[in-house]
Amino acid sequence: MTDRVILLVEDNRDDEELTLRALAKSKITNPVVVVRDGVEALDWMFRRGAHATRPDHQIPQVVLLDLKLPKVDGLEVLRELRANDATKLTPVVILTSSVEEQDLIRGYGLGANSYIRKPVDFTQFVEAVRQLGLYWLVLNQPIPG
Amino acid sequence: MTDRLRQALAEVSAAANAFSEQATDYEALLQAITDSCARALDASCSVGLYSDDNSTITPVAVTAVRPTMEGALEGMLRHPRRYEQTLVGQLAPETGNLFVPEIALSDLRDRLTPEAYNALGHFGVRGFISVTMRVRGEPIGVLTVIQHDTARPPLDDLDREIATHLANLAGFAIANARLFRRMQEEAAGRMSAEQVAERTRASEQRAIQANAFIDAVLENIPAMVFVKDADRLQFVRFNRAGEQLLGIPRGELIGKSDFDFFPKDEAEFFVAKDRETLRNQTMVDIPEEPIQTANGTRWLHTRKVPILDEQGESRYLLGISHDITERKRDMAALERARDAAETASGELESFSYSVAHDLRAPLRAIDGFSQALLDELGSELGEVGRGYARRVRSSAQRMATLIDDLLKLSRVTRSPLASQRVDLGELFRTTVAALQRDEPDRRVEIATSGDLVTHGDPRLLAIMFDNLVGNAWKFTSRRPIAHIALRAEANEGEQVFSISDDGVGFDMKYVQKLFGVFNRLHADSDFPGTGVGLATVQRVVARHGGRAWAHGEVDRGATFSFTLGDTRKA
Repeated sequence: MTDRVILLVEDNRDDEELTLRALAKSKITNPVVVVRDGVEALDWMFRRGAHATRPDHQIPQVVLLDLKLPKVDGLEVLRELRANDATKLTPVVILTSSVEEQDLIRGYGLGANSYIRKPVDFTQFVEAVRQLGLYWLVLNQPIPG
Repeated sequence: MTDRLRQALAEVSAAANAFSEQATDYEALLQAITDSCARALDASCSVGLYSDDNSTITPVAVTAVRPTMEGALEGMLRHPRRYEQTLVGQLAPETGNLFVPEIALSDLRDRLTPEAYNALGHFGVRGFISVTMRVRGEPIGVLTVIQHDTARPPLDDLDREIATHLANLAGFAIANARLFRRMQEEAAGRMSAEQVAERTRASEQRAIQANAFIDAVLENIPAMVFVKDADRLQFVRFNRAGEQLLGIPRGELIGKSDFDFFPKDEAEFFVAKDRETLRNQTMVDIPEEPIQTANGTRWLHTRKVPILDEQGESRYLLGISHDITERKRDMAALERARDAAETASGELESFSYSVAHDLRAPLRAIDGFSQALLDELGSELGEVGRGYARRVRSSAQRMATLIDDLLKLSRVTRSPLASQRVDLGELFRTTVAALQRDEPDRRVEIATSGDLVTHGDPRLLAIMFDNLVGNAWKFTSRRPIAHIALRAEANEGEQVFSISDDGVGFDMKYVQKLFGVFNRLHADSDFPGTGVGLATVQRVVARHGGRAWAHGEVDRGATFSFTLGDTRKA
């Protein structure tokens, strides 16, 4: 069997907790894997380093990617995912505080599927997470395989 | 040979002598002709000359043998008469020669004009001879002999012969005199040696004056001007600005070369540029060159120009140097300032980024966990506790809005201006439509007037309209039907735009505070806001080179006006 996993790349524990709460409030029940920096995110995706032994039935359904990350930043993570055949089609949603135009342009330029700014208002945040969960986990037809 | 004939020959030959003596003096010759004629024939004589087209005859000289006749003849002098009005023209127009030894006046009555007839009678004219003077067959004038003296025998054939001889001689003498006169006039057209000398003196004088003029101009040009001779590259001219720049008096410069004043490598550079200029015969521009002067190193921008002689050879080198030392120093300072500004701008950018990212994260936690508190422990908190949690949330959200507005303000300041054609009327309607979507129950009527098409940065103008129209929308919220208008007017060639509303307005006492950051005229509970909006408007307008101002009255609405400068070239 396969697990339709959500990979949450987030270094801020508060944001992590809030995102998980928002997912729960939106009745999204998919397992969520949390990684806390860009290197770990890539290790998990490519099953190497600390994540070399992770179960291979975990298929990332969507990656929720923060941009400002320790070690390797979110845009660099995105670039490597898109450069690799195994991950180049994985949906990546940039989930960040930044609305800097440059980040938006570079994010989409590197092949991000969506760009969502985390609102301060938690009510709005829940609504945003609900919508992205609905789209990427329910409505969107994943690539066969 | 009779005595009379001998005497006549003597008179004719004397006349020939007299004519040749006066050959070079035209007026004297004419007088000599009538004088000789009067003496030879003992009668009054006159000479009339044809005009160039032979249509008129003008008496030019008379000699009267009796005083009674003198006044009458002289009165005719220099008055041209048509040929047909002369005696010869009336009586012998074909031959031009007339011999009337004894006038029978009554016979002539029908053949003369009344004036001529009366004149002949009045002066007691007894007879006359008219002979046309010819040169190579062409008539040039008429010699007329008038006999009015009763004591003298009547004119006879000998008299006519003598008159004819004199007329022939006179004709040639007049022709020669005319020729001589023309040659003299032609010679006068050319310059005499004296005139040449005089003119040379005058042109030298002018040259000296021109030189003084050029000297005065050169002296007062605020740039160093010098001239070197092309062969030895020694200074032949130097102006005051040059003296001052080098700190060397002109007297020490003239006749010297660059090697006498400047370090060897500098002098070699100058001379190489001089040679290049003279060889290529084109201007050489040296945008920057250092020069050692009595006042230390100066930087010059120099142009070197060859001055050619008439054969096209380089004769002189003209140099014009601007002292750009100060400008260079200013430019360097400007560059440092720009670098500093760029660094500061870069720092501001990363600061803005941090503000956006790092300050929002804790706010999100405050808001989110307050909600978590309400969700998980709401019933235990009680009504008061839940109220506090909600107020924590609303404060966090307000701070987020404040941060967002500040970021927008800094973006307005930082982003480069991309000017293009913008229809403010369309922007106005779009902005109102967005506000209406958020508050579908509001009733707001909008109006536009004037030429609303202008030039500006569409993104910045959109931010500005969000604020201006947003304000108008907000401050009219208590009107059952609100009115917002956008107008354009031309004022002294400038487009002036204004957005006016019929909302709560403001007291003009506080107009100075309107555009300041965080300055608000209304309590947040009445009209929420951050106090950044109009500061942003002010920045947008300033970025376009325009101005913004406001007019308001409490409860009577507000008008915000602005110009955008001339951004078409920006």
